Amino acid sequence: MALVETMTPRERVLNALAGKPVDRPPVSNPTNVATVELMDLVDAPFPDACRDPELNARLAATGYTELGYDSIQPYFTIIQESSALGCEMQWEQKDNWPTVRMMSPIWKEPEDIHIPDGFLDHPDNQTVIQSIKILKGQFDDEVAIIGKTMGPWTLGYHVFGVEPFLLMSIDDPDKMLRCLHLMKEISVLFGQAQIDAGADALTFPDHATGDLVSSDYYRRFLQEIHVEMVERLKVPLILHICGNTLDRMDYIAQTGMAAFHFDSKNDPAEAMRIVGDRIRLVGNINNPETLYAKTPVEVRAEVNRALDAGVQLIAPECAIPLRTKLENLLEIPAAVKDWAEEHS
Amino acid sequence: MIRATVSKRPGVLDVIRKYGRCLELVSIDPHFHDITVGIYLSDGVVTVWTFSGRVGVEDRIQQIRDLLVVRGDMVAVDGTRNQARFECGIVHERPLSFLIANCVEKSPDLEQATGPITVRDFRTKLTLTATPRARDGRWAYEVTGVGEASKPEMRIRAVVGGFMRYGEMERVSPSEAAFTCGARHDELVRLLIPTARNVSSVEDALEADALRGQMTTQTLGFASSP
Repeated sequence: MALVETMTPRERVLNALAGKPVDRPPVSNPTNVATVELMDLVDAPFPDACRDPELNARLAATGYTELGYDSIQPYFTIIQESSALGCEMQWEQKDNWPTVRMMSPIWKEPEDIHIPDGFLDHPDNQTVIQSIKILKGQFDDEVAIIGKTMGPWTLGYHVFGVEPFLLMSIDDPDKMLRCLHLMKEISVLFGQAQIDAGADALTFPDHATGDLVSSDYYRRFLQEIHVEMVERLKVPLILHICGNTLDRMDYIAQTGMAAFHFDSKNDPAEAMRIVGDRIRLVGNINNPETLYAKTPVEVRAEVNRALDAGVQLIAPECAIPLRTKLENLLEIPAAVKDWAEEHS
Repeated sequence: MIRATVSKRPGVLDVIRKYGRCLELVSIDPHFHDITVGIYLSDGVVTVWTFSGRVGVEDRIQQIRDLLVVRGDMVAVDGTRNQARFECGIVHERPLSFLIANCVEKSPDLEQATGPITVRDFRTKLTLTATPRARDGRWAYEVTGVGEASKPEMRIRAVVGGFMRYGEMERVSPSEAAFTCGARHDELVRLLIPTARNVSSVEDALEADALRGQMTTQTLGFASSP
């Protein structure tokens, strides 16, 4: 039976995030789908597209206009706030991700934590805020605009350095908690600015990944903060954590987050079994092997696997490799539509 | 209007429908505004393509296509500025990825070597040579080594292994390899021989290259082990 789409992409994404019925599962990457070819198409290369609102909006829009995804996500990196906080940056070239030089941390103690004057006015934060305004003005209610604000755990890696930050959790857990509660205000401030600019939803990356810390860490240090974020940021929040997370999905499902964006290291059927209907799942098409190195045939198989498992929003597992071939990205919505037709 | 600023360049879907699947992307062209250059494949025809609309880009794309011909034994497709194919009718995909990287990244003014296909070995003092020989109705490349080495046959076998790995060639004997099409592709072999002699380093470089532009817990520094 031919699929008849009755919803706008924005309605589709927001309904899916709310657990409401949809005409088909949305394709919506909460991180982003920028590639080097799309950068050329709209003459908006990295790193400039991470630092100029017009270029940023132009590149972000291609996820919808060229690839046919149901949302636009203009915050490409994970470092905009950290740059505004004063971290040392490595802006890289067109084909690589900007990063924070975490070997040169800017803070050591909770007392060091402060939000600089003009934090939101910093050009790297303004890039995202102004880009959302541009995109909202352009697309209005047609397509979902998803902002992103980094959670305190990820900010902690950037401002304290990964090793000192993790050691703090062992040496002085109370101090660690104080730091997280201080840094969460950064998340709220930047997130609210994006909501005010027109963001329909926010991705909330907070990389307490199973590759680094146990599920108990998530429960002890982050679960309560994530609950608070849901209360304070009044749009659907999509928690994003890379890596193995099955062991903490039960805790994540209790936070009230609208969705969890999960990694391909986690079996989608098992993930769905754990979270049930307490939270929606977004994902989890593999990036480094499938999208980057394989063909549309394998992409389609992974999309079907996620859909068969009941994953509500289909997306790459994280920000895609910048050299991903476009045919693989186009295959995701094509496969979703075919699956929806078969199951309608 | 964002769409208006996108310009009138062909869309992504149009390009894929017209030129086929993307075989390889070179993300930065150091000789032309850092554009990204890809090669697309459809019906045995290789198309050099960029989504960039920079002034002069058509000339640069033609220059790269012409380099595929000179450095890779390809033939230009008549009436086109951006297409080429192998005369044998087979698309040698793996060597093509090395060829396009060479044509985009190396200086277009680099003079193409002629004469015997030779390279100095890094690990020994051998000079390695690949010589085309007719073998049972097809062309094979015999690898020989001249100079000092305790076990030259080991290095020769390694080069043949490299040809198989990066050239998708077949082993004909311990010292010979041939393309699956059986045709001569001297310039491809000239391109591949420096790579074929040094597989472990090339693998390291390829792995590092593949990681570039990936956002993972490892590349972000958020993982304890790779």
